[in-house]
Amino acid sequence: MVACKVTGKRMRVWGFLLLGLWAAVARAGMPDYQAFPAAGERLLLWMASERGRTAPELDAAERLAAQGVEVWSLDSVSAYFLPQLPSSMDAVPVPDLADWLRAAHASGKRVAVVAVARAAVPLLRAAATLDAAGRQRLCVMLLYPNLYTVAEPLAEPAYLDLGDLGGLQVRVLQPRRSAATPWLAGLLDHLTQQGATASGTILENLREGWWARETPTDFELAESRRMEGLLLRELDTWGCK
Amino acid sequence: MKRVLMGLVVGLLLSAGAQAAGFEARAATPAPALRATDLKGVPKTLADYRGKVVLLNFWASWCPPCLREMPSLERLRAKMAGRPLEIVALDSAETAEEVNAYLAKMQLGFPILLDPDGSNTKRWKVFALPTTFLLDPEGRVRHVLTGPTEWDEGEALDVIEVMLGEARISTR
Repeated sequence: MVACKVTGKRMRVWGFLLLGLWAAVARAGMPDYQAFPAAGERLLLWMASERGRTAPELDAAERLAAQGVEVWSLDSVSAYFLPQLPSSMDAVPVPDLADWLRAAHASGKRVAVVAVARAAVPLLRAAATLDAAGRQRLCVMLLYPNLYTVAEPLAEPAYLDLGDLGGLQVRVLQPRRSAATPWLAGLLDHLTQQGATASGTILENLREGWWARETPTDFELAESRRMEGLLLRELDTWGCK
Repeated sequence: MKRVLMGLVVGLLLSAGAQAAGFEARAATPAPALRATDLKGVPKTLADYRGKVVLLNFWASWCPPCLREMPSLERLRAKMAGRPLEIVALDSAETAEEVNAYLAKMQLGFPILLDPDGSNTKRWKVFALPTTFLLDPEGRVRHVLTGPTEWDEGEALDVIEVMLGEARISTR
């Protein structure tokens, strides 16, 4: 019995060592990925859109880290040498992203993910491959997600099958000034049908990708300089634990 | 000689680009209902434009491609004066104040309609802005264009002229 206990302790130690090693390997294997370490208990995974990562996103990640929120930032189109098109995000290897999510859990921190535009597709598909406990520990924020298979004028929109999202908490952040805003309710219904607990919030006076517009408004410029505040505010008020 | 040839090639490429608006022909499907108000709050439906070819443009004041094509819509209106074409620009999901702020900077002579709750945008299944529908005088959708174009030239003008020609024949 004593031997069993000792063996069990040793196994736990080895288990933690192996898990840590596996997490490090999973992170190192993720190309075009930047980490912004922080000592706080929160970890934010940030997936840039199909247009690639922008300087304001990296600036916001730095400011988050300065406030104690660790950030792992991923630019999938650069990482996998894909053209900057929405369809490219459908080609991002889902198992790689699932490994990334598991590595984040292995950090022991509270994990939130933010995915921009079509990046929502591989992220949600990766979340669907986690076990139920893994999904329940994730807080997913989607910035104006594009989950359509087809969206043609005069026809009902068709959404992608993303797999089982049971237990996943999803918050959609939808800029008011977007053609997708009238369709937010339908998008939330779809996420709910896939098993997620989905809710949405409207970001007033903003357009999609406000931090990287060619002709930004004064408000958009100001908001891009405090993007980390918006994300933290959403995380805090949303209530995802 | 080389310069002439190069000029011809560039000219052909540019004209091909100008033509590539991407109009999608539709098989004369009945249009969804239009229930909007003009800037004075007067209710408007498609019945108000029956008997004319209608260019129904969904736009928004925050949308740069929408604003880029507005001057060409205004030139089209001037060019088509006296002919049975009605240009109607339906603003998607904005307030009258937001629309008026834009119109203070850009004078437009065609009707602007409001869809503040986005209900028309949803009924017409508009997922991108601008999106434009060309309706025949019976109120049927004949062409759809997603994205901007120069309305007073090229393929856009050709499509409208063909529709106006068909309308003239059908009324004889």
